[in-house]
Amino acid sequence: MAAMTAALSCLGLGKRYGDLVAVDDVGLSIAGGQAYGLLGPNGAGKTTTISMLVGLLRPDAGTVLVGGVDLAREPLRAKARIGYVPQEIALYPELTGRENLRFFGRLFGLPRRGLAARIAEVLDLIGLTDRADGKLGAYSGGMKRRVNIGAALLHRPQVLILDEPTVGVDPQSRKAILDGLEHLVADGMALLYTSHYMEEVERVCDRVAIIDHGRIVADGTRRELVSLVGGADTVELVLDGDVGAAFEKLRAVEGVSEAARTGDTSVRLLADGGRYLLPSLITAVEGHATVTATQVVEPDLEATFLHLTGTTLRD
Amino acid sequence: MWRALLTVSALELRTRLRDGTAIVIALIVPVTLATLFGLALGGDDPPLRATIGLVDLDGGEFPASVRREVTAAEELKGSVTLRDLPGDREARRALDAGEIGAAIVFPAGFSARVGAGEGGDVTVLTSAGSPLAGVVASAVVDRISAVVDARTLAVRAALLAGVPGDEVKELVERNGAAGPALTLTGDPLAGGKVDLAVYYGSGMAALFAFFVVGASFRSLLTERKLGTLDRMRAGPLAAWVPVAGKAVVGFGLAMVSVCATWASGTLIFGSTWGEPLAVLTVLTAHVLAAAAITMLVAARVRTDAQADGVIMVISFVAAFLGGSLVPLHSLPGPLQTVALLTPNGWTATALAELAGSGAGVSAVAGPVGVLLAIALGAGGLAVLGFRKGMLL
Ligand SMILES: Nc1ncnc2c1ncn2[C@@H]1O[C@H](COP(=O)(O)OP(=O)(O)OP(=O)(O)O)[C@@H](O)[C@H]1O
Ligand SMILES: [Mg+2]
Repeated sequence: MAAMTAALSCLGLGKRYGDLVAVDDVGLSIAGGQAYGLLGPNGAGKTTTISMLVGLLRPDAGTVLVGGVDLAREPLRAKARIGYVPQEIALYPELTGRENLRFFGRLFGLPRRGLAARIAEVLDLIGLTDRADGKLGAYSGGMKRRVNIGAALLHRPQVLILDEPTVGVDPQSRKAILDGLEHLVADGMALLYTSHYMEEVERVCDRVAIIDHGRIVADGTRRELVSLVGGADTVELVLDGDVGAAFEKLRAVEGVSEAARTGDTSVRLLADGGRYLLPSLITAVEGHATVTATQVVEPDLEATFLHLTGTTLRD
Repeated sequence: MWRALLTVSALELRTRLRDGTAIVIALIVPVTLATLFGLALGGDDPPLRATIGLVDLDGGEFPASVRREVTAAEELKGSVTLRDLPGDREARRALDAGEIGAAIVFPAGFSARVGAGEGGDVTVLTSAGSPLAGVVASAVVDRISAVVDARTLAVRAALLAGVPGDEVKELVERNGAAGPALTLTGDPLAGGKVDLAVYYGSGMAALFAFFVVGASFRSLLTERKLGTLDRMRAGPLAAWVPVAGKAVVGFGLAMVSVCATWASGTLIFGSTWGEPLAVLTVLTAHVLAAAAITMLVAARVRTDAQADGVIMVISFVAAFLGGSLVPLHSLPGPLQTVALLTPNGWTATALAELAGSGAGVSAVAGPVGVLLAIALGAGGLAVLGFRKGMLL
């Protein structure tokens, strides 16, 4: 634990509003360079969890550690490592994009020297260098969203926490935003991401927690989650050679639960971790046939989500 | 942390100045209203009708001469009436009931003791409700003290010179020189004359201080709605920084506002509000109280629109009850007591005292103390409210 301090972790987080349990015993841990997705239907407790993680809301129970620093005990040190992107645009419409960044940069204690350069850097990162000196109120939704993210990056946080950062953004802007986030993660930033868009989470996050009624009902890599539903991958193979002999070899491969011939040259297998099984499948048929085409059809996260929460992500 | 505070303040100031309404509310409206009220209703003579109680337990020449002088003085005709009261207790009761504005109490044997060269003390009872009557009574007593001192000195001198005790009094009085009779020289009201322009000017200053300082706390709620407050709170800065940064600007603008109204009153009407340092002290205490009260409002309501409404109502009620719109002395007695529940009431009382007497800070220590207590109380509740409302 001491050797590998998580960039952000929490344990036993809980919050009640009267009789309503908004968040219950939530725990998670994110390492640097890791992107963690928090998926949940409306009212699941995502924003409440995030509010506690960034110190906006005092938890009824539980602790939050940011790079090993206890948020409750040393809030300023902990907060200095967090970049928070609120669900709604939280900027001054009467200021320009650059002025907004300058304000939050100063507020967050960026040194006077180098502030302008850092702002330019962030503007470049969010692709708004050209439009930086226009009034924010006149920006498009996507541009505002990008400044909303940029303002959280100024002080070079080690953890970036985003609460649905792409709501109401056109596909082009969304792609720009996701590309930017992937770069940050590649550079070692830890990311906590909530979204209503399954494909975004699937693309950006390498670990996902599904939260429902305030509780994390499942958590793991995308594959682990999907396999929770008992959904093994479907692997389709097209073979050339002695298909019959190859078929017998294939069904004996460890991990293959079912196999069926679907045509003269094609085989369908049901396999746990089909994608990773491919090499052993190809090796197995050596000497009898060669694999000329493969297709792995994975059960998707959407189906898992539906299975676990009884709802779809978007209503 | 100071840099963060300055950053918040700078943006707040910039927003307020850009907005334009800040200047209108802080400067143009109060100065204009104060000037208009002053022109329409101000005047040379204060509508002073003071009744001064006279408690004569002495029955000697001093109370008699006070009675004579006050009735004879041209300057006091029609404005000051004397009323005889049987004792100290009755005087206090009448004072509390607002029947008299001040009282002069001569203790038993006063004249005899002065005659014997022992000196003597006259008590003046005043009420915060009518500072002007107090000024007149004090002026009268000042004169009495001068006479008493002179007599005491003369009697002592005569005794030292070997004049037999029972002849001294006669000797001193016959010679007159050493024992001036009690005369009310000049206009004892001169010090107590408060131009109505001062009342209206200070009233407008007191009223608008609420709006000007309140706007800064209101903007805290606007930022909560905008989400920028949460962004600040999630950042590495102390929780009090956003509140304090805005409070500083609200306080500063409100001070500019009250001082501008003060300056314009002095320039336009040539009427003094009193000793400058003392006036500034009272105004500062008032703005602090107004800041704390409007901060308490911001801590208790949910939206900036609600804050607007509540601050508006509180400001006007406090202004009306506290004598900012109608001079305190023209309010009926019970309302004059209610006035003391508002900061405006204490501010009006203190400023009337200063304008009337030319006295310094010590003369208004009481009202200033109350204003600061209001500021501390409301401010404390506001901080608790902010904690609960998760602003802090
Ligand atoms: N201040 C509050 N007072 C009372 N209940 C609240 C408060 N804030 C949130 N809740 C409740 O807590 C639950 C969780 O809300 P939260 O905003 O965390 O959900 P969410 O997962 O972010 O939803 P969405 O996807 O719609 O943003 C909801 O039932 C909500 O009504
Ligand atoms: Mg939410």
